Amino acid sequence: MRLTRRQVLAGAAASVLGAGGIYELVDQLGGESPTRPAGAALPPEQHLLDSVAVIVDNDVEVLVPPLHHELVTATVRAGDLRAAQRDLSAVLDELDARYEPTPAGLGVTVGWGLPYFERRVPEAWRAHAPRDRRARKFALLPAVRFPSDPKETVLEQNEVAVLLRSDSSDHVGDAAGLLFDQLDVFDVTSIRKGFVGGGFEGSRSLPKKVAIAAGVPGADLIPDSAQLFLGFTSTQKDGLGPRLISNFETLGLVDLGPRDYFRQGTSMHVSHIFEDLEAWYLNFDFRERVATAFRPGQPGVREGTLTVPQKPTKVDTVRGVERDFKVQGRIGHSSAIQTSSRLATEHVAEDGTVYQRGTAIPQRADFNTLDNPFAWSSRPRVDAMQAGPRAGLHFVVFNPTSDDFHRNRLAMDGVLPDGRRLPLAVRERNQGFNSVLRTTHRQNFLVPPRRHRSFPLAEM
Amino acid sequence: MMRVKRLGVIAGAAVALAGCGGAHSSSHARISVLRASSPACPAKARAGWQRLANRIDAPVYCPSWMPDPLDGVIGSRWNNINEVSRDRSYLMSWVWQETGPGAAGGEKHVNLRGYPDRTRIPRCVNADSKKRALIPCFSDAGGKVHAGDVTATVYNVNQDADQWHVLYAWRYAGSLYALSEHVAPPFGYAKVRRTLDRILRGLVLVQPTEP
Repeated sequence: MRLTRRQVLAGAAASVLGAGGIYELVDQLGGESPTRPAGAALPPEQHLLDSVAVIVDNDVEVLVPPLHHELVTATVRAGDLRAAQRDLSAVLDELDARYEPTPAGLGVTVGWGLPYFERRVPEAWRAHAPRDRRARKFALLPAVRFPSDPKETVLEQNEVAVLLRSDSSDHVGDAAGLLFDQLDVFDVTSIRKGFVGGGFEGSRSLPKKVAIAAGVPGADLIPDSAQLFLGFTSTQKDGLGPRLISNFETLGLVDLGPRDYFRQGTSMHVSHIFEDLEAWYLNFDFRERVATAFRPGQPGVREGTLTVPQKPTKVDTVRGVERDFKVQGRIGHSSAIQTSSRLATEHVAEDGTVYQRGTAIPQRADFNTLDNPFAWSSRPRVDAMQAGPRAGLHFVVFNPTSDDFHRNRLAMDGVLPDGRRLPLAVRERNQGFNSVLRTTHRQNFLVPPRRHRSFPLAEM
Repeated sequence: MMRVKRLGVIAGAAVALAGCGGAHSSSHARISVLRASSPACPAKARAGWQRLANRIDAPVYCPSWMPDPLDGVIGSRWNNINEVSRDRSYLMSWVWQETGPGAAGGEKHVNLRGYPDRTRIPRCVNADSKKRALIPCFSDAGGKVHAGDVTATVYNVNQDADQWHVLYAWRYAGSLYALSEHVAPPFGYAKVRRTLDRILRGLVLVQPTEP
């Protein structure tokens, strides 16, 4: 039997979707899932995950993200977009019926890339595309390379990305199978898998266990209960945007157009980053790791602390970052980003919710990975696929607009909201985390509200 | 981040001179070992280590085993640093480097240090800070290892010629000693730790002899 390239690729992708591979370690090593509160009714937003447990570590409230993550990118195969819209919608509804949108159930978030809107529904897109008032651009922008990105960073052109999150790898596998194996509307371009968390009540965390089992360089140096490879807890409640803040409509950044089609939607940035664990743990002592991850001279952090408070009342300012840079010649990752990622003033949303000054805006959904750089790619040469596991991060974040994310990412490189560019060399040691990170891929997506998550605008 | 080490100034060694005369005995020529079963200082290496002990008038540690092809012989083709500072502290370094892809390339680099008559961790210039402040040359202690009479502290973040090395440091007779190895292909952290454990087990104490 002769197979077309498409059939071969589809078969290969299906085998990766179904198989755990190295990630079977996550199931074997993950142990019990954390106790989860019961879920609620489906929210209009796709990107929200309800009933996320909260624990307290070092007197800081920490959200406990789902253990298993998978992100699948694809292009649209279907010729009849309206039929595809119905088919995908039916599968998504079926998943909603099977699993509540919680870590114990399954989080499904479908984001659509600019190539989808411009190729498949160009006229409707021009009419209904949300616009970023502050940036005077569309809310969904093509990805760009940032100053610390290598020139090899691939700016992707996927039409769709589906993020699956759950404490159960079976739930993730079930959803991936339904969406990309049984449903005939997508050609998968990449599969990205990963994990986060564990380490509950001081036990050895999942990233540490998996990294050691996989023989990743530097795995032995990861602190035992670290939530992520780089050690520090990243999902503290004060560091993540509250429930609706990244919706297009909440902060008033976005003009939703004539029919508010994308109200309750958001934008999503997806990137893959290699992390050099040996460089991090063998060249930065604890004091410098704190200065690098948070801010130079971060006070009162006891040796070995993993959860460092990031209260809204203590966020850094442009002036503070500039002062630290002038005195110490370096910036911290969190403090630099906070100049752009935290509310500069109090904001009252249209639903009456008051967001205090210093509130975080981005809602991160990043997860560690051993993908190199992906678990599977339809374009292995373009994506520079390599054999063997490698420590990394699939960075997934929801911001009100692509430009809002771009501002945060620029601040991470020392390009501050006031336009000042701190004189830092590319990926130098004093530029926050950048010297131990290497971004391989980037793309922005638009996440429609749940009601329009299947082939948005195709009905028009 | 490039795996390039600064092999320049050994700041700590040049400062904080201690007075002459230590706790060691130099009345007899003798070579003792960490454990009764440990091998002796190899014949081809012994003369060099004895000369070093005599030169600094303090005990030194001769490695009876080193990862191939390194040999622990002072003056051998692999011995790229043979340095004694004015404060009598020493740095002996052996390195093997091969460029090439995969298993064809790599580096093995082992340092042995001694700081006679002082036990404090030396200070190094922080070359990455604007103020070039002094920082501990060895930091981020990560546990202890034992071999015979030696109990060494494991330091994961180190400076100068020990940058990107894992380093074991211990005290003996009022002096500080250190052994380190570069974490670089083909050796990852775990393998380096096993190698260091083996070198540590095989160290042979060489006492200075009378002039």
